[in-house]
Amino acid sequence: MEAEPGIVSPFKRVFLKGEKGRDKKSQEKLTERRALHTVPLSLPDHRVDPDILLNDYIEKEVKYLGQLTSVPGYLNPSSRTEVLQLIDNARKLHQIAGQLTAELDALVSLSAYNVKLVWRDGEDIILRVPIHDIAAASYIRDDALHLVVLKTAQEPGASPSPSGGAEGSKSPTLSALTEPGAVLLELCSLLVLAVENKAAAEELCMLLSQVFQIVYTESTIDFLDRAIFDGASTPTRHLSLYSDDSSSKVALVPSEGDLSFPGSLDGGGNSPSSCSSTPASPQIKTVSEGELSTTAAELLQDYMTTLRTKLSSQEIQQFAMLLHEYRNGSSIHEFCINLRQLYGDSRKFLLLGLRPFIPEKDSQHFENFLETIGVKDGRGIITDSFGRYRRAVSSASGSTTNGNAAGEESEEQRAPSEGDEWDRMISDISNDIEALGCSMDQDSS
Amino acid sequence: MTMEEMKNEAETNSMVSMTLYAVMYPVFNELERVNLSAAQTLRAAFIKAEKENPGLTQDIIVKILEKKNVEVNFTESLLRMASDDVEEYLIDRPEPEFQDLNEKARALKHILSKIPDEINDRVRFLQTIKDIASAIKELLDTVNIVFKKYQYQNRRALEHQKKEFVKYSKSFSDTLKTYFKDGKAINVFISANRLIHQTNLILQTFKTVA
Repeated sequence: MEAEPGIVSPFKRVFLKGEKGRDKKSQEKLTERRALHTVPLSLPDHRVDPDILLNDYIEKEVKYLGQLTSVPGYLNPSSRTEVLQLIDNARKLHQIAGQLTAELDALVSLSAYNVKLVWRDGEDIILRVPIHDIAAASYIRDDALHLVVLKTAQEPGASPSPSGGAEGSKSPTLSALTEPGAVLLELCSLLVLAVENKAAAEELCMLLSQVFQIVYTESTIDFLDRAIFDGASTPTRHLSLYSDDSSSKVALVPSEGDLSFPGSLDGGGNSPSSCSSTPASPQIKTVSEGELSTTAAELLQDYMTTLRTKLSSQEIQQFAMLLHEYRNGSSIHEFCINLRQLYGDSRKFLLLGLRPFIPEKDSQHFENFLETIGVKDGRGIITDSFGRYRRAVSSASGSTTNGNAAGEESEEQRAPSEGDEWDRMISDISNDIEALGCSMDQDSS
Repeated sequence: MTMEEMKNEAETNSMVSMTLYAVMYPVFNELERVNLSAAQTLRAAFIKAEKENPGLTQDIIVKILEKKNVEVNFTESLLRMASDDVEEYLIDRPEPEFQDLNEKARALKHILSKIPDEINDRVRFLQTIKDIASAIKELLDTVNIVFKKYQYQNRRALEHQKKEFVKYSKSFSDTLKTYFKDGKAINVFISANRLIHQTNLILQTFKTVA
């Protein structure tokens, strides 16, 4: 703390006290504020290493003027007139700050995951917007004001009318339906920030543009991976236990070379205690069940190949552990929840590939679980196609039915002995997956 | 043809032989209008030579380009040319599923061949990737439909080829991920060429087995 000033004339004390006091406080604040977490940006397009946005973050100073909610979704973020009209109206209604004061100082923290806004002093959080909720970012110069406006999804619960409150709370973009027969209107929010100058505004917009590019690129590659996985996973034969080719033998696990990972294997000393000892090389198992075993083998190979590209070595071991626990009595519910947690939101589609490995008795729960987490049919071409594959061996000719109707249309037409055979095969396959997880421990140790 | 023979033939028809059908076949087709006999002789000679020495055609083309001081990115040019139909690989069965297979393969090859035009514009390139994803899926779906509908004695050869195609599709995806980090477009072109070649092999396998 600074030392108190010496004796000052009463006149000055009275006249200048407020201003000086405020200036002094502002000055103190400025000197007390921490440095920003940022990096130099390459000009002219303010490029930053994508890794920084993926694994770190960048802070910029802004002034937070406020957030407008229940804005019609059809607002054109490129229209200066439209946006300023909304802001002006909001100012009149005191929904947006009119003057730029130090109290509005804030920090925007930008990463590939979200835009976070905190007050500059005290750093209390104002709001956080996931990147996928940001529709557009605009720079508007209004005389001396340099505004950056983010058009975002409407926050849940911010529905403008009581009748639409329920809908609004379910989805960020659902609108209020004010009266029967009224047209549904998509709503959005506008986050209004002010920056120091044009350069700062352009910098912020370019950073956001790079974030969008990273996120869009990642999601596009994911889309490609899912398309390949889906096409590869769909069965290519009628599922039948018996085949003319009953003398065929097939390896159920990939060759040893396929187990290698680009990075180093970690967790070598942490193999699950319940894992039985297995040879360093994966088990090669031959079966003579013909068609069914070949299909199961291919499904396993495809699934393991996909897991290797999507999960880290540690995560694969975790997957093996969860599978082991499930096979040893843990509930399907727990299995699903733990797997969902392991895969996360971006990889939840991997759960679909587990369909063939879920025993009959748990398949209904599994299907319901898939539906609750939004990876079942009706949500796009990928999940529609996943739904075409039916776990049930019963419908030899009907395995292209839509998964939504799976529960209604499926009928067990096979004899109990066939079902037991299927379950035994799945049990064998699951053991191989667990062995794969264990053998990775031995490889890494 | 047994599975073993088919596998050997597939391995022999590695990507280096792509130059033969992507570059030379259209030349022979043009030459046939001028001198049918010479064109057919040349075609047969090149096919035989390439079979015995995979990559020979590519070497010849590259040397010709060098001799003529033509500065062209061979891989990129090959990719642009690779979308054309190769009559030898078109399935000539009239059933709708097989015609669909031809069509889906053609669509995938076409969109892959557009990569050099789109790769420098990120937004357009990402849209191209999405189109490629849809095309891959549609092709695989059509392959699965044919599998379901028709029982083949030698389906292992078909399944093997499908697996190879999936493998190269995944490799293409991995190449894209690397490209977005290092910016080396040439690797994307190489991977796309490989995928086109695998697409042709699927057609060839179905043509042979069906």
